[in-house]
Amino acid sequence: MGLEEKLPNGILLASLEGVVNWARKNSMWPATFGLACCAIEMMTSGGSRYDLARFGMERFSATPRQADLMIVAGRVTQKMAPVLRQIYDQMAEPRWVLAMGVCASSGGMFNNYAVVQGVDHIVPVDMYLPGCPPRPEMLLDAILKLHAKVQDEPINARRAQLREESGAKTEMIPSSVKYAKK
Amino acid sequence: MGIFDPVKGFGVTFGMMFKKVATEEYPEIGAPAAPRYHGRHQLNRHPDGLEKCVGCELCAWACPADAIFVEGGDNTEEARYSPGERYGADYQINYLRCIGCGLCVEACPTRSLTMINFYELADDNRQDLIWTKEDLLAPLLPGMEQPPHPMRLGENEQDYYVNGPELARDRGVPEHETVETDTEEAVR
Amino acid sequence: MTVAPEKSDVDVPEGYVKLTIDGEEIVAPKGELLIRTAERLGTVIPRFCDHPLLDPAGACRQCLVEVEMNGRPMPKPQASCTLTVADGMVVKTQVTSEVADKAQQGVMELLLINHPLDCPICDKGGECPLQNQAMAHGRTDSRFVDKKRTFPKPLPISSQVLLDRERCVLCQRCTRFSDQIAGDPFIDLLERGAHQQIGTAETADVLDAASHTSEPDSASAGKSASAGLDSASAGKSASAGGQPFQSYFSGNTIQICPVGALTSAQYRFRSRPFDLVSTPSVCEHCSSGCAERTDFRRGKVMRKLAGDDPEVNEEWICDKGRFAFRYAAAEQRIRRPLVRNVETGELEETSWTEALRAAADGLAKARDGKGVGVLPGGRVTLEDAYAYSKFARVALRTHDVDHRARAHSAEELDFLASRVVSDGGPAGGGVTFSDLEKAPIALCVAFEPEEEAPAVFLRLRKGARANDVKVVHIGQWASPAVEKTFGELLACAPGGEAGAVDGIAQHAPDVDEALRSEGAVVLVGERAAEVPGLPTALHRLVERTGARLAWIPRRAGERGAVEAGTLPTLLPGGRPVTDADARAEVERHWGLDPGTLPADPGRDMTGMLNAIVTRDLDGLLVGGVDLDDLPDPALARKAFDAAEFVVSLELLPSTVTPYADVVLPIAPVDEKSGTFVNWEGRRRPFAVTLDGTGALADCRVLDTLGVEMDTDLFTQTSDAALGDLDRLAAATARAAAPDHPSAEPPAPGDGQALLATWRQLIDDGSLQIDEPALAGTARRVVARMSRATADGLGDHVTVSTDRGSVTLPVEVTDLPDGVVWLPGNSPGSKLRATLGAGHGAVVDIAGGDR
Repeated sequence: MGLEEKLPNGILLASLEGVVNWARKNSMWPATFGLACCAIEMMTSGGSRYDLARFGMERFSATPRQADLMIVAGRVTQKMAPVLRQIYDQMAEPRWVLAMGVCASSGGMFNNYAVVQGVDHIVPVDMYLPGCPPRPEMLLDAILKLHAKVQDEPINARRAQLREESGAKTEMIPSSVKYAKK
Repeated sequence: MGIFDPVKGFGVTFGMMFKKVATEEYPEIGAPAAPRYHGRHQLNRHPDGLEKCVGCELCAWACPADAIFVEGGDNTEEARYSPGERYGADYQINYLRCIGCGLCVEACPTRSLTMINFYELADDNRQDLIWTKEDLLAPLLPGMEQPPHPMRLGENEQDYYVNGPELARDRGVPEHETVETDTEEAVR
Repeated sequence: MTVAPEKSDVDVPEGYVKLTIDGEEIVAPKGELLIRTAERLGTVIPRFCDHPLLDPAGACRQCLVEVEMNGRPMPKPQASCTLTVADGMVVKTQVTSEVADKAQQGVMELLLINHPLDCPICDKGGECPLQNQAMAHGRTDSRFVDKKRTFPKPLPISSQVLLDRERCVLCQRCTRFSDQIAGDPFIDLLERGAHQQIGTAETADVLDAASHTSEPDSASAGKSASAGLDSASAGKSASAGGQPFQSYFSGNTIQICPVGALTSAQYRFRSRPFDLVSTPSVCEHCSSGCAERTDFRRGKVMRKLAGDDPEVNEEWICDKGRFAFRYAAAEQRIRRPLVRNVETGELEETSWTEALRAAADGLAKARDGKGVGVLPGGRVTLEDAYAYSKFARVALRTHDVDHRARAHSAEELDFLASRVVSDGGPAGGGVTFSDLEKAPIALCVAFEPEEEAPAVFLRLRKGARANDVKVVHIGQWASPAVEKTFGELLACAPGGEAGAVDGIAQHAPDVDEALRSEGAVVLVGERAAEVPGLPTALHRLVERTGARLAWIPRRAGERGAVEAGTLPTLLPGGRPVTDADARAEVERHWGLDPGTLPADPGRDMTGMLNAIVTRDLDGLLVGGVDLDDLPDPALARKAFDAAEFVVSLELLPSTVTPYADVVLPIAPVDEKSGTFVNWEGRRRPFAVTLDGTGALADCRVLDTLGVEMDTDLFTQTSDAALGDLDRLAAATARAAAPDHPSAEPPAPGDGQALLATWRQLIDDGSLQIDEPALAGTARRVVARMSRATADGLGDHVTVSTDRGSVTLPVEVTDLPDGVVWLPGNSPGSKLRATLGAGHGAVVDIAGGDR
């Protein structure tokens, strides 16, 4: 928003940070970037059985301008790379990237000249999801872990520095453990 | 076109309210998977806690994605990690390459490498997704001992390999447990 | 030579026979083994014991074929590896004969009865002839249901070689290699029948307990690992019961073992063949330039194997070439440039640009002062040597360059300039490895083949065994090499070699006679430089008899450095510095103004060191030089301390590093390409093995340094350097022959002796660090002297000079009286460093306690 950068640092911001992050993580709309087999699992995740909407991801956005999270699902070829970057550039801040499946994460078994060896060569990746392809539960797990990260995100530079100094790191707890029924 | 046609469609919606919900309540219900689902790997142990891995690298050779790195090492009398002469000194699986095909499990001559159901692997950096031997080794069940230590089951190899499971019961390894019991099962 | 089958009326040349294999007619030379004739036809008969370089044994029986002679079939299948071809022979291999196929499968089944199925943990698994042939020719399952024979394992037969007897198929390749090729028959077949096994005399006592292990006992598994640990000590102790497997060539038995029965302690369990990347390479240790195969994995060299080059090393290499390579991956290796901080006096890591600028500034200042000397060391490639040579002349404007990091003399310079440099190599009629095999006589002077150039030793032995090459050694004692080449020793006092050579017609007329025959060869080692008059005497000898002369230095780069002109009297291509035409030619080629190159020869190594002490020289540019190798380490230290500016191009921290102002890291041979010139003058090019490590070759560093000093060497890459050198065609004029007087060896007084010494192959050399298993196979470090000299000294002798002393156990040997022999650079016997003395010096001897 820009406004938070100008505010003085204090307790108020800590609470505000919590509220803003809560809002951001609970209405994180994904931009589709289905490139291969992983996309099938991604689509399944949006279906009734897995129902991604439970986590505030109401719809897959076909336009990057209304999306917050790019799920790169499938191997990214060298030819696709500039397209992917352009889509990413068109997304509004704040934005996140989830590399779904081993091909998007590292090239996977396609260790060859045609495939980008990890989408993090092109865009910054916030969450790596292994699996070939990952089952929908794994995608949900990755999204929930990303939610946890978003919740911990500092709101301005000063708070980012404080967090850096404290050495705090969002713990990656398996979702079935974190959200287990008591 | 009848008079009820405009509202007929709502009948379907209405009817669904009395049907069972199709949505699987992951993550609240835990992480369901078929019994033989290819989740992450596990390096199994002998009933006395020694590693089954002999560092033969056949898993690395079988891997189509080149996700496994193994380096063998010599067991010595002072530091014994596996029953024979050789053990896997360095064992790494890169989960950002692994496609879960299970060829490594088929290649393993000692059934040291198996796969368990755990699949919640996502992480926010590439480094942490290279799992090392410490991460992959099976949990120590009761009666097991953290290597290095000498072979504990019986007097000779016949005892160790053939009668091992029975001897392990005497050492306190629970009846229903096998050496391939994974972490969650052990916790449960 | 293969003849199409339809033409049955083929001509059979003299000395050839015609036979039929699988219905195809083939002409083969008389005496050829059937298995190789079939191979030429494209039929590979499975085999284990057969090896082209070993005598046939017929031990494994895997190569059975059906043979028919003169229309009568032989009653049983015959081993094709022992059967020579004969005219009219009709052979059916497994391809066409069911009998042969069944016989081979049966043999395979028998071999596999006791062979364990431990391929996953066996080092050979993946490259194993037994594995491959069992898959190709064996049965799918075994009918053997009983327990397999087991042995305690592994059995260390030396600190490096480990034996797993249960894997052995008794093909006897290792015993035949040791017996025939290396001449170290410490390993042999023991016991009989089902208990037959390979072992050494030392293992005979383990044998009884081991050979009857019908019960699989825990001892066999439990002991296995500890045996591996004990191996280091086992190799060293020569027990009274027998000798351990002490051989400089033991690694070859590992390579030719067709199963995983022999493994090396160094490589055991380190990796599997299928994830190694193999590149051909050339050995960097001695001047033989053996072909090697370097196997690496993830940027780390895992092992080296002998390459196959029939012209040079055949299929054998020594253990030093095979096992000494981990120095390049040593932890202390210098990987970033270091510059001495003026204030603290400490070397500090810095960037290349800064280090090069500091080096260039310092060298330019020293050059403009009294001058800079260049000491490239003897381990450079041809390209690197050329870069040093050109850098000295172009950037430093001096002839003060000398690669000889060892004892040297002006006489040797004349000898190299007149007899060695640009002799054309094998193409120009120089002595070659194959000449050694066929020579009527090979005279070794001041040269210890097994210790200094093991590949030469193997050829001499092969020649002596096969063609009765008479090997004559002029040395001090009947070393193992003398015995194993069935040689004759002409013993002389150290320093008296020149006299011995001159007087050969009187005291050994038969040798003199033999030297006059066609093909006679004289081999001289680098120790000749320590004997005044010896190079001159050798020159006179070969001029008189017509024998051919070969100079065999110890280090891999010496011969190439001579060609590249890193000597004070020689320009590249063997051009004498004093020759005005040669200078002009080189100046034109290098684009220098006429008259730029000084007309006078430069200083040799000792001359440079003295000049620094007397302040006639300011700076030094040093390559791979160890001060303790130099003739006078004390003088060297004094000089390096006094030098204004020292630039060191080094791989590992050395004795030069404490004196260096700038240290520039350079690439080891695995990480660069280049060419070694072996003693024959044969070029041995090698490509880069580990690519992309960022380490730079000497020629590249010097080129960049040259650019910083406003000169261009055109040696950015080894290809560029070699191209630049080759455009400078070899000189036509040869330097004058050496003519120096010889001196009588000094007479040792009471309590004194003459020192004879040479270096052992496996010793404390700086390229042998981090190799404990290899060090365990070194020969025992002893002082050798005659019974009369040793009389009254006791078990140990202390050999001393005014610099220091060395105490070693005494071994009575057939040395001349008044002579003591010590190894040159072995643990506890570093003669240059502690005594400051070399071959032919007078030392004090006294009984020592230990």
